[in-house]
Amino acid sequence: MKQNFKYKVIAVLMLFCVSLCSCKPEQQKNKYTAHSFDYFDTVATITGYETSQAEFDKISNEIFSQLAEYHKLYTIYHRFDGMENLCTINEVKDGAHRTVKVDRRIIDMLLYAKEMYTKTDGMLNIAMGSVLSLWHDYRTIGKDNPENASLPPMAQLLEAAKHTDINKVLIDEENLTVTLTDPLMKLDVGAIAKGYATEQIALYLEEKGVSGYLLNIGGNVRAIGSKPDGSEWLVGIENANKDDYLAYLEIADKSVVTSGSYQRYYTVDGKRYHHIIHPDTQMPATEFTSVSILCKDSGLGDALSTAIFCMPLEKGKTLIESMNEVEAMWLSVDGKITVSSGWNKYIKK
Amino acid sequence: MEKQKTTNKRHLRNDIILVAVLLLFAIACGIYLFFFRATGDAVKVTVNGKPYATYSLSENREVNIYTGNNKQLNRLIVKDGKAFIETATCPDKICAEHRAIFRDGESIVCLPNRVVVTVIKSDKTDAPDAVT
Repeated sequence: MKQNFKYKVIAVLMLFCVSLCSCKPEQQKNKYTAHSFDYFDTVATITGYETSQAEFDKISNEIFSQLAEYHKLYTIYHRFDGMENLCTINEVKDGAHRTVKVDRRIIDMLLYAKEMYTKTDGMLNIAMGSVLSLWHDYRTIGKDNPENASLPPMAQLLEAAKHTDINKVLIDEENLTVTLTDPLMKLDVGAIAKGYATEQIALYLEEKGVSGYLLNIGGNVRAIGSKPDGSEWLVGIENANKDDYLAYLEIADKSVVTSGSYQRYYTVDGKRYHHIIHPDTQMPATEFTSVSILCKDSGLGDALSTAIFCMPLEKGKTLIESMNEVEAMWLSVDGKITVSSGWNKYIKK
Repeated sequence: MEKQKTTNKRHLRNDIILVAVLLLFAIACGIYLFFFRATGDAVKVTVNGKPYATYSLSENREVNIYTGNNKQLNRLIVKDGKAFIETATCPDKICAEHRAIFRDGESIVCLPNRVVVTVIKSDKTDAPDAVT
């Protein structure tokens, strides 16, 4: 009798062992990933937990098609038949810009960019297109032909800098029109449009009740909900191609954006020149290697990461601390790391 | 008394068998898990968002990834459990400067050639879901 009982206990224990070893926890949702290279001149990665590939494809295709629309509206490099976009706003005909009637999504983004200009004391300026296009052209030539790479002449940069007044961007909210009143000015929304579009898509998904998705639009990371098991997303911050990450953050329903000098650059006479141009010097900003922003709104994160990159540390810290639920991390060119007061709350334990 | 002793002996013998069986079972489980995991590490290559190939990380190899009607090349090296791009025909060479990847979910992206190399199923921990 006693013996019998013992064997029963043993049998149960062994069954328990077998179940521990062989069964993965019951998972109804798998992790899926999709990439696209077609939008905002970068790679867009969507990660999501769904019950099947078909379910995931439904959401990810919707995200990609929305990205496609925002890309077409916000690109300054291409025009499309039958639509006005940032490229056609920049066009000059007979010595002047036209008044262009545009999609509501362009008006909203430009208004937001103007608001950010004020908030960042001019460090985020979408009216810097004339200066940035000089850098863009010289960088493109320099990358295609490294032996002949050269810098844009300072005289040209200073001349272009005379045509960067954001008050000459006229926006008529009622009639949905945009006019650039300085014929030599151009818009460049590269520091804000990608993040703004990411945020609009995230808000749309949230409204639809979607959860368990992580968007990474060229480094604009935005979490929609948490993972299905309730755990947070782990976001690594690149350490300028060094072997480990600068930080691991745990987030849900939030965004992390990094601006880094290692992301886009070219080399002239052995020296690197990156793409974040300081509005006061017309040259690449020199104080930091990267600045990362953690906040809810990916558009805000995108704009702030560029603006803070161009501000002295103390001024940037004051700005970040004055904002609610916005955190930042600075990596200075000499390798020193500074974080805002609430940053460490998000560091992975 | 004599009978009691035999029963005790039998009990002891049974216990030893039991412990031995459990131990063997645990070792078998361990071996199975070890091999199963070691062969799970791999990198997945996609070109322009479409699957291209998957390579095990446990085997050294060199792969030429041709894209754009074979005009563009990214040379992928798998060595000592890590993967990196050695050379590329793209203008910026950012992918070739990227460090070697080995943690689950890490990736190297070549924007101009539209190539993504991602580590899948690795048991190396601390793998982020996204990198910025």
